Amino acid sequence: MSTTHDFSAKRIVAGYEKKAILHEIDVAIPSNKISVIIGANASGKSTLLKTLARLIKPTSGDAVLDGNKISAFPSKQLAQLLGLLPQSPVVPEGIIVSDLVARGRFPYQTFLKGMDIEDYIAITEALEIMGITDLADRCVDELSGGQRQRVWIAMAMAQQTDILLLDEPTTFLDIAYQVEILDLLTDLNRKRGTTIVMVLHDINLSARYADYIFAVHKGKLVAEGTPKEIISEELIKRVYGLDCAVIKDPVSNSPFVVPKGRYHVS
Amino acid sequence: MKNIDNLNIVRQGFIRRRVRWLTITLILTAVTILLSSMLLMYGSTRYPLSKVIQVLFGEEVKGASFAIGTIRLPRMLAGLLVGISFGIAGNTFQTMLRNPLASPDIIGITSGSSVAAVFCILILKISGNAVSIAAVVFGLLVAGLIYLLSKGGSFSGGRLILIGIGIQAMMNATISFLLLRANQYDVPAALRWMSGSLNGMQMKSIPTLFLVVIIFAAIILLLGKHLSILELGDQSAITLGLRTDFTRLSLVLSAVFLIAFSTAVTGPIAFVAFLAGPIAGRLVGTGVSNGIPSGLVGAILVLGGDLIGQFAFNVRFPVGIVTGIMGAPYLLILLIRMNRTGGAA
Repeated sequence: MSTTHDFSAKRIVAGYEKKAILHEIDVAIPSNKISVIIGANASGKSTLLKTLARLIKPTSGDAVLDGNKISAFPSKQLAQLLGLLPQSPVVPEGIIVSDLVARGRFPYQTFLKGMDIEDYIAITEALEIMGITDLADRCVDELSGGQRQRVWIAMAMAQQTDILLLDEPTTFLDIAYQVEILDLLTDLNRKRGTTIVMVLHDINLSARYADYIFAVHKGKLVAEGTPKEIISEELIKRVYGLDCAVIKDPVSNSPFVVPKGRYHVS
Repeated sequence: MKNIDNLNIVRQGFIRRRVRWLTITLILTAVTILLSSMLLMYGSTRYPLSKVIQVLFGEEVKGASFAIGTIRLPRMLAGLLVGISFGIAGNTFQTMLRNPLASPDIIGITSGSSVAAVFCILILKISGNAVSIAAVVFGLLVAGLIYLLSKGGSFSGGRLILIGIGIQAMMNATISFLLLRANQYDVPAALRWMSGSLNGMQMKSIPTLFLVVIIFAAIILLLGKHLSILELGDQSAITLGLRTDFTRLSLVLSAVFLIAFSTAVTGPIAFVAFLAGPIAGRLVGTGVSNGIPSGLVGAILVLGGDLIGQFAFNVRFPVGIVTGIMGAPYLLILLIRMNRTGGAA
């Protein structure tokens, strides 16, 4: 099981070039839970995730892991604790599934040490949990979108981090694959206690799968809490500018957002 | 882990690919040695292998000592070293930028070094190590320029390649300008150099070249694992704990040193850097580090090309002409394939 970590960000200001996208955001990530960051396009949710993953250096403030700023960690040591699956990861041409997953072991390797039994076990476990053992020797280029996403999550799993960040892991997937990927991530959270933080677009799947939700609007945190606590008609209006009705999801009892447009409203 | 069989299956996959890599690398080494010995044996007079070995061990053999020791050996060594360095440097650029077109001889770095070398030969009338240093400096400047111009799109992708092709055209125009301005008696020598030739190699240029190739090839090969992480793109690489800027800088500097130094010695031998990586990748399979195989394929292309150029026709062609004829169709195939898959340059 993963150990508990104190992972938070204090008064973060960050952005691209000189334009600030995040304005003094504070977040404390619940350990060993699944958190989802929601927000409209260009609200800064992806920037927040990237700042937590040290892909963007904040102009002020910093993400702090177990009392140390993440920018102060030796890079490989941090890579053993904190992983990220980018939104559109790059597939090297012609690479084989198990070779790609093996690259997740980089933080554990040195100049002279090659792969050892621990690496093989980590790779095999990741393939097993993602259910892609039979794809191990296949070329990644030949796989479907859903299979490919499983390979990437397997690579992040082989990295064996206690915290895993994912930037829209279900984008470009059809509804069946979306549910499948979220189920697999829940497996990972339940089996290993991995702390998961992800950006999701689908508000209803977020409400169903998240233990905790951060709602971001115009670079500020406007609400946080369990889905039941915070998902409301007012919040959706504020964050997305959308009128809606919130009902109870008949399957999971979580809040379910039904949008109201200009047509088809009775 | 649920199943020990799965562990064995996964492990065997890695072992199988490793064995394939080793086998191919050994075969490539054998071919390289074979071609090297052939270059020492054949010439206007043919010497048996035993004589060649005698000469190599420092025995004085009448006639052979001069032909092999003074003429053929430096030619062969230059071809070997330059081939290795073109192969490794080309593969480094192609892997780092994830595009076979991103080879230094396509994106203008080789041409940049050539400009400096032609300027030294024709205008300053100097030769030797000074030419090499000028070539390295100019090669680095051109690499820096391409990087700065394409910075908006990060250090990857089609933007950099298109800018590189533009720079290449500028450099070639500069070379033409230098050729037109030069004393016409010097022009044939410069043109011979420009086509990439091993003719008239002298032993005195070998030691420095050897040292440069050993040092910078070693740096690149040691960073092989890092290069394969860089290939995943910056976001994944940083997440995996790679210091991306430092790694990229070390790789680019080493590759430019290899390219520029080798170009200064033999001239730009066409398409070797461009062809070696993809051929090696086909042979050993991608996903495994193909630095060493690329170097060997580079050497085979240069040595084999020189053998063909010397002996296959009635007229002797410089090696660059032969490799150029081999490379051009591949460039076309690549462009056509890219066009079909939707132009992911």
